[in-house]
Amino acid sequence: MVLAQILLNGILLGGLYGLMALGMALVWGVLNIVNLSHGALIMLGGYTVYYLFTLAGIDPFVALPIAMVVMFAAGFALQWGLLNLVVRSKMLNTLLITFGLDVVLTFAAQLVFTADFRTINPSYAGANFPVLGLTVPVVRLAAFCVAVALAAGVWFLLNRMPLGRAIRATAQNLTAARLYGVNPRKLYAITFGIGAALAGAAGGLYGMISNLTPYMGASLTAKSFVIAIIGGLANPFNVILGGIFVGIAESLTALYIGPTYTDVISFGLLVVVLVVRPKRAVRAA
Amino acid sequence: MKRLILPLAVLVALALAVLPMVGSDTMVQFGINALLLATLAQSWNILGGFGGYVSFGNSVFYGLGTYGTAIAMTNYNLPFGVGLVIGVILAMTGAALVGLPILRLRGPYFAIATLGLNGAMMAIFSNLPIAGSNIGLVLPLARNDAMFYELALGLLVVCTLTVLWISRSRYGMGLIAIREDEDAAGVMGVNATLWKVSALVLASIFTAVAGGIHAYWSTFVDPASAFDSTLNVRMVIMCVFGGPGTVFGPVIGSFVLSAVYEVLAAQISTAAALLFGFVIVLAVVFMPRGLADVVKGGRAISWRYFIRNIRENRL
Repeated sequence: MVLAQILLNGILLGGLYGLMALGMALVWGVLNIVNLSHGALIMLGGYTVYYLFTLAGIDPFVALPIAMVVMFAAGFALQWGLLNLVVRSKMLNTLLITFGLDVVLTFAAQLVFTADFRTINPSYAGANFPVLGLTVPVVRLAAFCVAVALAAGVWFLLNRMPLGRAIRATAQNLTAARLYGVNPRKLYAITFGIGAALAGAAGGLYGMISNLTPYMGASLTAKSFVIAIIGGLANPFNVILGGIFVGIAESLTALYIGPTYTDVISFGLLVVVLVVRPKRAVRAA
Repeated sequence: MKRLILPLAVLVALALAVLPMVGSDTMVQFGINALLLATLAQSWNILGGFGGYVSFGNSVFYGLGTYGTAIAMTNYNLPFGVGLVIGVILAMTGAALVGLPILRLRGPYFAIATLGLNGAMMAIFSNLPIAGSNIGLVLPLARNDAMFYELALGLLVVCTLTVLWISRSRYGMGLIAIREDEDAAGVMGVNATLWKVSALVLASIFTAVAGGIHAYWSTFVDPASAFDSTLNVRMVIMCVFGGPGTVFGPVIGSFVLSAVYEVLAAQISTAAALLFGFVIVLAVVFMPRGLADVVKGGRAISWRYFIRNIRENRL
């Protein structure tokens, strides 16, 4: 029974992990940028929802789309004004610049939001209901559903809409896409914006389940990376599945080995996955 | 210009060596920190600068050196020198164990794999009773700042000499070949995995000694200070700012940034960390080859140099 409950928690949390990785996988697949500031964007999204909830009294799930719009604008501006300047240089440079961005965002957040732990705490935060003897926490279930819905949205965008076709074309061949009238600067900015918006949504949901601190970004970046590799960059639903896999692995570790070892496990998983199947991460969105 | 660099470096090293006799206590203490950080940046340079493999996990070797020294000195009452050796062995073993699997990965895969390393190691050490678990270890007191200063300076000199050797040797050429094109390097007979792992092990030696010196100097070790992830930030930024893949770039970069950091930290500490982030962002955009490349250009440098850098890489 305990095991079933742990598995359920792992699956619900894993859906959210998948959402976190979705934005990173999209940006990686299309722009070929491994965005090390992705975790910081998740953090910013979390704080946006937190302040919309505490200061303006907007329900967190209503605040989520607002935060996504805000983060889309931020991501668009970041890619347009800064990352487009270096996107053609070596991977080393794009890694370094997003690493620098991560430092900037983290310490700017510490300056503005202080280092205190914050939790988005609506009245229904602790609510749950029983199913077959298992306890289902309402917020986690909702977060899982939002994650799956957003993954479906990304799938629809990529496969059924003209913008998505342009994004996929650019990922496959930048020059050819350009010849067919795609404006790569704008398209890159839009794609990064979508990635940031997904990160923002993930941050808002994460803030309801766990705590927000300015420093939460680094470990979430690493986690998103692991999941993006397990799930591959091609299909949003596979990314969600990858998230569920990591979520279950973490929950089992916390149960059988001890909660302090979850970091060790996600690192070990990362190494194993990278060594066993590094070719999995193909460039195609 | 090029001929002047070596004698100039020797002069600077000599001038730095006499500083404890003339400088104030605060200056010596600042010096120890700056020299240790320069050592970290310089040893990061071996794999990161020459080999082109960005590691965000070198602080782990610092932590292993710290703990190796601390455990030897507190639990077994061994002298400092022996402690350092144990720390170095620990770090070298760690580097080889970690390096063998993850250095087979290329580019971003390696970089991200190292990202989780620090957290994982911190979790392990805060559960080890022999390392004092979460509480940490208290080392015997040694109030001799001048000695620590000279040790740190000596370490930096040895590290820089090693990098100088690398820059002129066949070994270094192999690393540079890996950075420029790993497949081509393999064709030319460079055993890439061996080269990369040995570079990481070499880096871990100096990093671990720096950790050991810092442990004995500060007389206190705990998981949070030994596996301080901001150390990664600092060594990478200092090296990149100064000039990755150059001999003196990382040293110059870290001295400049340490001084700026010290001045800023006296005002507001968060602003200092923020500045580091801005430095790395601007450095990548405007001078991707580092301060050393800007200096090398001498007087010919103008705003055109920076514009050219942007034009090369923008979309």
